[in-house]
Amino acid sequence: MTKAIQIEKFSYSYPDGTKALSDITLDIDHGQRVALIGPNGAGKSTLLLAMAGFIRGAGRIIIDGLEIASGNLKQVRSCIGCCLENPEDQLFMPTLFDDVAFGPLNMGLDPEQVRQRVAVALEKVGLPGMAERAPHHLSAGQKRAASIATVLSMSPKIITLDEPDGSLDPRHRDNLVRLLNGLHQTLVIATCSMDFAAAVADTAVVIDGGRVIVVGPAEKIMSDSKMMTNHGLEVPRKFANEQA
Amino acid sequence: MGCCDVFAQKAIKMHHAYIDKFAYQDSPIHRIDARVKFIIAVVFTAVVISLPRTSVSILFCYAIGPFTVLVLGGIPLRFVFKHILLVSPFVLVLALTGPLYDKRAETVVFGPWDWQTTVGWLRCYSIIGKFVVTMLTLISLVSTTRFAELLAGLRRLAVPKILVIQMGFLYRYLFLLIDSAHHIIRARVARAIGKIGFRNETRVAAAMLGSLFVRSIDAAERINVAMQARGFEGHWRTINRLTIRGRDWVFAAVSAAFIFGMYVFVKPILG
Amino acid sequence: MHMANELLSVPVAGGTLAVAAGGLGLICRKVSRIVTSDKLPLMGVLGAFIFAAQMVNFQLPAMPGTSGHMVGSVLLSIVLGPHLAAVVISSVIIVQCLIFQDGGLLALGCNIINMGLVPCYVGYFLYRAVTVGKSGSMRTYVGAMLACVVALEAGAILVPVEAVLSGVLAVPFSTFLVTMVGVHFLVGLVEGLITVAVLAYLQQVRPDLVLEALPGRIRLSRRTVLVTLLVFAMVAAAGLSLLASSMPDGLEWSYAERPDQPGFKPIITNENTTIAAVDKMQGKYTPLPGYSIRGSSSAGWTSFAGVVGSALTMAVIWVVATFLRRRQLKCTTRI
Repeated sequence: MTKAIQIEKFSYSYPDGTKALSDITLDIDHGQRVALIGPNGAGKSTLLLAMAGFIRGAGRIIIDGLEIASGNLKQVRSCIGCCLENPEDQLFMPTLFDDVAFGPLNMGLDPEQVRQRVAVALEKVGLPGMAERAPHHLSAGQKRAASIATVLSMSPKIITLDEPDGSLDPRHRDNLVRLLNGLHQTLVIATCSMDFAAAVADTAVVIDGGRVIVVGPAEKIMSDSKMMTNHGLEVPRKFANEQA
Repeated sequence: MGCCDVFAQKAIKMHHAYIDKFAYQDSPIHRIDARVKFIIAVVFTAVVISLPRTSVSILFCYAIGPFTVLVLGGIPLRFVFKHILLVSPFVLVLALTGPLYDKRAETVVFGPWDWQTTVGWLRCYSIIGKFVVTMLTLISLVSTTRFAELLAGLRRLAVPKILVIQMGFLYRYLFLLIDSAHHIIRARVARAIGKIGFRNETRVAAAMLGSLFVRSIDAAERINVAMQARGFEGHWRTINRLTIRGRDWVFAAVSAAFIFGMYVFVKPILG
Repeated sequence: MHMANELLSVPVAGGTLAVAAGGLGLICRKVSRIVTSDKLPLMGVLGAFIFAAQMVNFQLPAMPGTSGHMVGSVLLSIVLGPHLAAVVISSVIIVQCLIFQDGGLLALGCNIINMGLVPCYVGYFLYRAVTVGKSGSMRTYVGAMLACVVALEAGAILVPVEAVLSGVLAVPFSTFLVTMVGVHFLVGLVEGLITVAVLAYLQQVRPDLVLEALPGRIRLSRRTVLVTLLVFAMVAAAGLSLLASSMPDGLEWSYAERPDQPGFKPIITNENTTIAAVDKMQGKYTPLPGYSIRGSSSAGWTSFAGVVGSALTMAVIWVVATFLRRRQLKCTTRI
C-alpha cells in the first residue's frame, strides 16, 4: 500500500549557504497523525513547505505515490493541503466564502459543487453561516478555524499545519484540538507546544538542526525526558504524570 | 513629526471607529442588489451636483432620498453627521471662497423673513448643502452594502477584473496595515525624547515607512505561497452570486420616480 | 488633494470620469497581459501600504500648523513600474472614496487623473530620463526629487483647471493656481525627500527589490539636502514671480482685506474671459438660471414651504421607523 508521505534523503540549503535540512528520511502512513516537534529554527516549517513542493532540494519527496516534480505541483497540492503559520496570510479574500471557495474553484469544480464544498467545510470547522463575513472581523480562534476550512474544502488526503495553536487562548486551543481530532485525514502538525502535540498526535517526529532525531509513537518519544530536554523540549504534562 | 503622532492617531481612530461595521447588519436596504444601489447613488449625485449654483431649498427636498435610505437601513444618524463633519474641512474652506470673491448683492426671501446678502454666500450655502446631500448619498450606499458585494457589483458593471482583484486585496489587508502603521508610530513616539531636526526626522520617517514597506512585501510573498498551495496558477476564478430580484426593481423604480419627480415638478418652483 | 463633487459641474465630472475610465481600462488590459500571478498579492498589499503611509502626517517645514502626507505614486512607480503603480494608486483612490468618503463619487475621475495617472507616468518617465543608463548617487537623488516635485505639481495644476472649467467656485483661476502650485511645491519637496530616503533604506535592506530601479547607491547627506533645498527654493522664487507678474489679478485678493485702507474698492468681478464663457455655458445647461427668481415674495414662500416640508417629511420618516423598530424589538423579546 502506498504511503501518504515518503521522504528520501532530502536536503536543502538556504541561498546564503546555511543548511536548513540534512538528509531527511521519513515515512508517514495514511491516517497517521504526526507531530513534528523541535526547537525554534530546527527546520519544521521548511520541511512542511518542502512536502508541498515549495522547496526544491536534493533527494525525493513522494506524496501518495506521486513524486514531486515541477510539472505536477497542482496535482500534489490537491492531495496535500497546507495550513500556514499565520491565518492572515491564508485568508486573503474579502469574504470567507471566497477564501474557502478559492481551492475548489482552482480545482475546476462547477459553481454548485463549490457552494456545497464551502458549506460542508465551514460546518466541519464550526463556522456555519459565516460565509459572508470578512476575515478581519473574525477572532483569532475563528481565523484559525477558517484557515483550516480553506484547506478542507479541497478534500485533501493529507493536511499539514504549521504551529496551528500559536497565539490561541486555552478555550480556542481546546476547540482546535477537538476539530483536529475529528478529522480523518493524515495530519502533519508542526508545533512548539508539547501539550498540544500530545493531545492531537499518535506519532512524534523530533527534528533538530535540520535532521530527524527520532521517530516513534508519541507517548513513548515524548516521555523520554532526557532526550526531550537535550533538544530544547519538555515532557508534556499528560505523559509526565504517567512517568511519575 | 511633533504633530505626526497626534494626527495619525486621530486619523486611525476616526477610520477604525466606523469602517464597514454597519454594512454587515440586515435591513430591506441591505438586501438590495449592490449594482442597483451603486447606479442610483451615482445618478442621484449627478442630479444634485447639476442643480444651479445658488440652489439651497431644493437641496432639502432632495435630502429626503438618502435620509430615508439611511433610516430604513438602520444607520444611526448621529454617526453619519459626525462623519460628514469630519470630512468637511476642505470643502468648507473652498465654499467660503464664495463670499470672499463674489460680492454681488442679493436679497433673499424666505417665508416671512427677508435679508440682504451676497451671491457669494448663496454659492457657499449651496456648495455646503450639496456636499451634505451627496455625502449622505455616499454613506447610505457604503454603509448598507458589504464591500465584497460592492466589488462584485462593480465587476458586473464592466470594471476591469484586475482592478477588482486589486481592490479586494486592498480592502482585506487595509486594516492590518493601518494597525501595523499605528504600532510603528506608537513605538516611535515612545522613543521620542525631543526635537532632532528636520533631516533626522525625515530619516526616521523613511525608516518607519521603509520597514512597513518591507513587511508588506514579506506578507505578499507568504500570501503567494498560500495561493499556490490552493492550486492557483494564474487564472483567477470567481462565482457570480448576484441576482436581480423583484425588490431591486421596486427600489430602482421608486428612486427614479423620486429623483426625476423632484427635478421636473419641484425644482422649477423652488429654483 | 482630493477633489470634491461639489466643486465640479456634471459635464466636467463626466468628462474626467470618461478619460479616467478609458485610461484605466487600457492600463488594466496591458497589466493583465504583463503581470505574473505572484505580483497580484504584491500589488494588493502595497496598495494597503500606500493607504497606511498616507495616514502618517508630517509637519511641513516652512509652514507651521499645516501638515502634509506622502502620496507615494512616484515611489510605487519607481519600484513597480508605471502601469502597475497606476492600477494600485487608482484602487487606493477608489477605496478612499467608497470607504472613507475622501472625495466624492463624481470626482473619482478627477482624483484618479490628478493623483494617480498623471503623477505615476510623469514621475516615472522623468525619473528614467534622468537616471537610465547612468549611475551615481547624485543622479538617482536628483531624479527622484525632480520626479516627485514635477509629478505632484502636474496633478496639482489640474485641480484649478478642473475647478474653473466647472465654474462652481468663485476663486479666480490665477489665485487658485498660485496657491496650489505653491503648497504642492512644498509637499513635493517633502515627498521627494521621503521617497529618496525610503529607496535608500530599501537598497540597504532589500536590494533585490530595487535592483533595476536604482542605478547607484543613495546617500542622504546634509550637504545634498541643503543644496537641493537651495536649488528648489531659487527655482520656486523665479517661477512664482513669473506667474505673479503675468497674472496681475492673482494677487488682488490680498487687497480685499486691507483694513488700513477703508476707501479701497476691491476688484472682485473677474473679467477673465474663460470664466465668462463657462458662466454662459452653465446658464445654457441648467434649465433655469440659478438666481433669477429670488427677491419676489412668492418665491420666498415656496422655498420656505419646500424646506419646512422636507424637514417635516424626514422627521415623520424617522419617527415612524424608530417606532416600528421598537415594536419589532418588543415582539421578538416577548418570544
